[in-house]
Formats: sequence, C-alpha cells, structure tokens
Amino acid sequence: MQNAKDTFYELLRSRIAAANPERTIVLRGITRPGVLAEENELVSTVTIPDCFRLRWMDATVDSANAMPVAAMTCEVLYETAGTAGNAGMDRGRLLAVMDAELIGALNSAPQATIKQNFEALATGGSAVAMSTNIWWGDIVLGPLVVKADRVARAAKVTVMSCEEAGEL
Amino acid sequence: MADLLCSDAAVRSADALLRANGGRAVLLRLPAPAVAGNDGEQLGLATPQFQDVELAPAAFRGSGKTATLLISGSAVKALVGSLKFNSADVLFETAAGVVVDGVLYTILSSTATTADGATYLYSLDLLAPDR
Repeated sequence: MQNAKDTFYELLRSRIAAANPERTIVLRGITRPGVLAEENELVSTVTIPDCFRLRWMDATVDSANAMPVAAMTCEVLYETAGTAGNAGMDRGRLLAVMDAELIGALNSAPQATIKQNFEALATGGSAVAMSTNIWWGDIVLGPLVVKADRVARAAKVTVMSCEEAGEL
Repeated sequence: MADLLCSDAAVRSADALLRANGGRAVLLRLPAPAVAGNDGEQLGLATPQFQDVELAPAAFRGSGKTATLLISGSAVKALVGSLKFNSADVLFETAAGVVVDGVLYTILSSTATTADGATYLYSLDLLAPDR
C-alpha cells in the first residue's frame, strides 16, 4: 500500500503544481509545491495555511481475487486566512480557489496512473514503474469549518490499487 | 536613549533572575534545511540531520504531561541572528523540540514578553512525549 500512497502523493503534487505554480510553501528553508503528506513530515503543532495536507485514514484489503485490491481513504485538509493585504476578507474566495484546484486535480481524467516504487530514492536511485495502476474516485468535499481567522475544509478520496507480489 | 536603557535593563534583569532561580541550559533541536528537489524526504524515505543548540539561561517547570520553559530573550536573539532565522517565532516553529535532561519536548506555543520593543523573555509551552 505504501507504493500507492507515494504514487498518489506525487501525482497530486504534480497536478497541483501544474494548475497553480504559485501554490508553494516554504518548509525547512526550501520552497516546494503546496502539497505535503503529514506522516512524512516532522511532527509539528503549526498548521501551514494555503497548502494541501494529505492524511491517510482507513485502509482495507480485499483478498478474494488472485491479486488483492487495497482501498485507502485519503483525507486532504486545507485552510486559508486570506491575504493580509485584504485583511483576510477574501478567505472565502481563496478557499474556493483551493476547492477548484483540488477538484480539477483529482476529478479530471485520467483518474488512474501507473504505480511506482520510490524505495530506490533512499539510496540515490530513481523511481521504478510497477506493473499495475492506482485509481481513485471523485473527491468529496466536507463542510467549511471556521478556525479563528481561517476557513478550513477536509475533503476525502478513496484510492485503490492492486497489490503486487511482495507488496503485502 | 532612555528607551534603549530601559529595554536593556529589562533584558539584563530577566537574565539575572533566570540565573538566580535555577538558571540552566536546554537544547533546541533543529532539523537541517531540506534538500531541494529531494523527493525522498517528502516521501519519508530520508530523514534530515538534527543539530542541538544550547539556550541559556532558562528556567524549566514541568508538571506531568505539560511543562513551561522560560528562556532568556538575549539568548534567543543571538541564536536567531547567528542561524539567520527571520524571527524567534520561525525559529521555534522550525525546531523539532526542546531537549531537557535528555527528554525531547514538543513546543506547543511560544510567547514573547517585551519592554520598550525589546524581548527580554520567551515562554514556551511544552508537551512531554508519550511513554
């Protein structure tokens, strides 16, 4: 399942970066696209605004077939305080922009991509394309939540993949 | 001139009080800057190097799960300058935590106390690790 999670993160990050190159964050001194997987970052009590944070939730594996099918729920959290120049009065509009970017990235075809194994990156290698795809359903937006001076939303998408030999 | 003297006095007084009330040193654990274009770190395949830098004088008061740490404003100011952080807030937000007697505490929040524009004391709310 880890390969599916990694592949989905890389795909969402590249699609968001293509849709809005200005959606960036500065994390530990480096500017990067505004998408991160919470479980891969240092534990922090600070919530970064104006970026998409991936949080992996439920996971199930259907082993009825020859190749088990894994289904994982990915929660995408995001929030914004608007722009300081507008005294934050545009926070609703900016959240709508983030809604549109996320919907555009995940609900547009193809809703599938070749699964990749990124393990080799740890030793300086490159990602390796695997034999099967990952695929996902439409993103479901949750209710808008007011957090002090920010407006926030959590969206959910189910990501599925066939588990190849050695993956489980 | 009067403002400068007043703020300087507050900084010196805070340092003296911290030293007189069990002043001690703690370690701020800072991750090394991320590597540009390194997907390994973003995927959790690689971890950054950490650097422990000393902060003193400080006063630590712990009670079970949470703790409070008072740190000299002058010590933090020197660290912010030498490590080229934009502000103390960014420094504390970047830190992985504070090491006190070998235990790594998570920083929940930081509060600066100022006099005439100069910060003479930082108060950090800390969370102890799960046992």
